Amino acid sequence: MSRQRTMEKILASEYVSIGELVRLTGCRYSTLKFYTEEGMLPFEQEEENLTRRFPREKAIAKIKEVQDLKKGGLSISEIKNILSLW
Amino acid sequence: MELSFAQNFSLIALNAQDSLHLTTAKKVSLRCMAAAAICELYLDHGFTIKEDVLTLARQDLEQSTTTLYQETVLKALLGKNENLSDTLPHYLTHVTKLSNKDLKEVELTFADSLKEIDELEEIPNLLGCDLEFKTAGISMKEYRSNAELFTKVTESLRAEILEEGTMTDESILMLWLLRESGCLYDIFSKEELKRVIERMNEVFESNSLAKLVLPVIIHKSIEMSVKNLLTIKRQVMSTPIGTGINFTFPVFERSQSIFIDTEALFSNKEDRLRDVIARLEENGHTFTVIHEGEVPVIKIDNFLYEAIPTAMQYRFSVQGVRLRKYPLY
Repeated sequence: MSRQRTMEKILASEYVSIGELVRLTGCRYSTLKFYTEEGMLPFEQEEENLTRRFPREKAIAKIKEVQDLKKGGLSISEIKNILSLW
Repeated sequence: MELSFAQNFSLIALNAQDSLHLTTAKKVSLRCMAAAAICELYLDHGFTIKEDVLTLARQDLEQSTTTLYQETVLKALLGKNENLSDTLPHYLTHVTKLSNKDLKEVELTFADSLKEIDELEEIPNLLGCDLEFKTAGISMKEYRSNAELFTKVTESLRAEILEEGTMTDESILMLWLLRESGCLYDIFSKEELKRVIERMNEVFESNSLAKLVLPVIIHKSIEMSVKNLLTIKRQVMSTPIGTGINFTFPVFERSQSIFIDTEALFSNKEDRLRDVIARLEENGHTFTVIHEGEVPVIKIDNFLYEAIPTAMQYRFSVQGVRLRKYPLY
């Protein structure tokens, strides 16, 4: 049996899946997928086709940064430039 | 706040359903909600399991961990029996035998459990403002799930199903419930559905729970066809051409073309708008007039509508306005 992790366990883990990241942040899956493909979200992947693992704290902080910059009126390409400088 | 497995499914299944009448589309959802309660009990080890046989005794229902909605479903399954022993697929197929009375009870307990925590509300259906529904004394309300939680539940499910990697038992059961309730089409696009089918096949080959559950069919083809037909009709009537056709022949899809009668014959634009606002207020809708004029634009319950002056021909002509979704193209 492979069970879904409880919120307590997710909050105690170093790494989370993209689905768990959706549960933690309330962001849409397609949005997070887009951020990942655009290199805006840090992740680890042991081999190609294996599940991506996201460092929980870093990924959440990054999503917050992107959201704040977007609220500030910046476009995705501008946000990408800013994030690459940090 | 994290909801239980069955509550998560109910949030999807009840959203936008008629809350006052037992419609065909709602019956499909309610049966699946009853199945979700069984799945939840299975996941939480609520059955006594010996090999493949799950046993449930009436006295088990008195445990403090049993929720009211679980109790309602299980009592309906037990009937007059003290014990029930069956395999998981057979337990799930039992829901097809639930009577309308049982289904109403299931709806009530699930809806109450979600309303208590403010995750579900009943809102007036705009169609209740229509002249024909108003004069027939038909009151119409529908369920609306908390938008934020709805997004969280559906999006995390989409992530788990569409991404590579192991699917959890919850996701497998949820996928089966969505398939049986016809809600898959509400959550996945046509293109994504191809991937969903691939994932279903993959998981069927590799997972024992999927092998057990995915072949189980609890939907009734006629009911499912009715539900799908209504969805397709609504989608077609939302297109630019469909909206035009529906304006001339509102009988095709009443929920997309609402006629509100105005009091005075040949009333001016201010009087017309006043009458429309009065009807909306009377039926408890939230609205904002975005733009006044000959054809005002009004935001009602988060959707934009234009109020076009028109007349309906009965034995005599009735002046009024027709509300139709404001085309955002």
